[in-house]
Amino acid sequence: MKWIALEQLLHPADAPRTVSFAPALDHASLCQQALQVAAGLQLRGVKRIAVHLEDAAQLAVALLGAWRAGVQVLLPADLQAQTRQRWLGEVELWLSDQPQDTTLEALFEAPLAAADLNLDQCRLSLCTSGSSGEPKRIDKSLRQLANEVQALEQLWGKDLGAACIIGSVATQHIYGLLFRVLWPLCAGRPFVRRQLPFPEDLQRASREHPAFAWVASPALLKRMGDNLDWPALSPVRRVFSSGGELPASAAQALHQRLQQWPTEILGSSETGGIAWRQGDSLWQPFAEVRLSQNQDGALRIESPYLPPGHIEQSADAVEFAADGRFRLLGRLDRIVKLEEKRISLPMLEQALIEHAWVEDARLGVIQENRASLGALLVLSAVGLYALRNQGRRALTEGLRQHLSQHCEALALPRRWRLLRQLPFNAQGKLPQAELQALLLAPRPKGPEVLSQAEVDGELQLQLAVSADLAYFNGHFPQTPVLPGVVQVDWALALGQQLLDRPRQFAGMEVLKFQQLVRPGDPLQLTLRFDAERGKLYFAYSNAGVPCSSGRIVLEAIGE
Amino acid sequence: MSDPQNTLNHDIKLLIIDALGLEDISAQDIGDEQTLFGEGLGLDSVDALELGLAIQKKYGIKIDADAKDTRNHFTSVASLAAFVTAKQAA
Repeated sequence: MKWIALEQLLHPADAPRTVSFAPALDHASLCQQALQVAAGLQLRGVKRIAVHLEDAAQLAVALLGAWRAGVQVLLPADLQAQTRQRWLGEVELWLSDQPQDTTLEALFEAPLAAADLNLDQCRLSLCTSGSSGEPKRIDKSLRQLANEVQALEQLWGKDLGAACIIGSVATQHIYGLLFRVLWPLCAGRPFVRRQLPFPEDLQRASREHPAFAWVASPALLKRMGDNLDWPALSPVRRVFSSGGELPASAAQALHQRLQQWPTEILGSSETGGIAWRQGDSLWQPFAEVRLSQNQDGALRIESPYLPPGHIEQSADAVEFAADGRFRLLGRLDRIVKLEEKRISLPMLEQALIEHAWVEDARLGVIQENRASLGALLVLSAVGLYALRNQGRRALTEGLRQHLSQHCEALALPRRWRLLRQLPFNAQGKLPQAELQALLLAPRPKGPEVLSQAEVDGELQLQLAVSADLAYFNGHFPQTPVLPGVVQVDWALALGQQLLDRPRQFAGMEVLKFQQLVRPGDPLQLTLRFDAERGKLYFAYSNAGVPCSSGRIVLEAIGE
Repeated sequence: MSDPQNTLNHDIKLLIIDALGLEDISAQDIGDEQTLFGEGLGLDSVDALELGLAIQKKYGIKIDADAKDTRNHFTSVASLAAFVTAKQAA
């Protein structure tokens, strides 16, 4: 296989060379189509277009065609209305699979002549997703991309040989674009057109090719089950993983099943590839990438995959080994990755706080079967009113809906904890460990005791009824109220300290419920124990208004 | 509809809630025919992967990796239940 440099891809190869299948496409037809698209774009006089195509081969045609016509390409992360709105003023034409947009075929005109592409004038813009704040545009020259595919080929070209490239990741992002499209095009390796997000599809595609390699994500690699035919998959030439952290256990499982370690790539939309590792905890920087640290220990990157002279400062804390390899120590900001999607917790917290129902909010990551966000909320008076009158489901759904304007569905909190206040420590800080513990704890079942005092044999307690009580769920879905039986339980539990000996519940007398107790209510509870009669007297009130009262008959145990 | 069918649907809803950590949703909130992914319940492709693993584990069945369109079974609770029933009978 002969390497064709990225800038020369519009010149058909001498020997036949397969680009993709179903339908089959060879390099000569790819060139032809790209030059036809170039003519179509030129005819329309457009200079800037947005491209979002499912089919990697079509994407290749669109990119080469646009570059040939001197058209700048923007690859939006998705085609949602907000995304379109965001880039409205920056592009003149949308090329996508959606009916309202232009199709590739619609652009076909009599082809322009083949020509070299200009490495510095051809431009591509990638977008980070909206979850890290405003979607950010990252401009790249063809030279940056060419440098990177060249380096990849030098590292792994020989091993991959004629492998067909099969990908589970989208080509709208840097990793998929380089590994699934541009690198195979230059190397003359065929690639599968579609993104295959499910393991079964990956297996089927793999079996159709004598040699194959995977461009995958941790989301997929850590969820490949025993239902797959692992012996049939083990000839895989290489398993690439990027976009987020691959847990060591998942890497190990792959090694066991495939007898090879996955090749992990560390990088970002801004920097392209930074380093890689295979069955090792340390990261090996790519050959021409120069790394250093700022005073906080965060990684600084100089690279031929960045614009000339640009030094990218990351927020990844690292520790270098003597040989120049390094260990990742974690983020210094509160940007997290959920299944490879970058999410700014401060940005989402801000969005939550802007909602009238929310007084304050903090988010944390919950690592269960799948990682998701959990929210700790302090409700405003309006929020508490909404909870009392519409119920918890309406409250959390309303907030999720509100947040969905700011982030992808994946970042919407799945767990909510409603607090009276956030657990600031004496230094006015919110320790992440404390937040985490609150998120992982089950919803409370007891009252929060704010104060208690014994006056003339009476126990007087100030209680707070948490808005988060587990009992509020089914009682009642739209109008949560504190069940009477729970009030009796609480009185009994809190009254234990007054008892003269171990006693057990034997009945109730003169039980009265006068006013509903609702989420967030402050309660006064008065308890008195009459040892002679074996009765615990309780009375709940809210701001002087009686809520409930009664006598709990208690018999001594073992008499 | 027979009772075992209802029970299976209900169990699958609980499995979805549990495997995907959907705390504020109860089984009653999920319709048998409701679309699970995208619009509808709003689950994503990572949920689909998780659910695939959970279903195989809980019911001791295997998603046939060589069959086409296996993921069509994941459209709704009813289609998942039909898939589980067919697999268990096989």
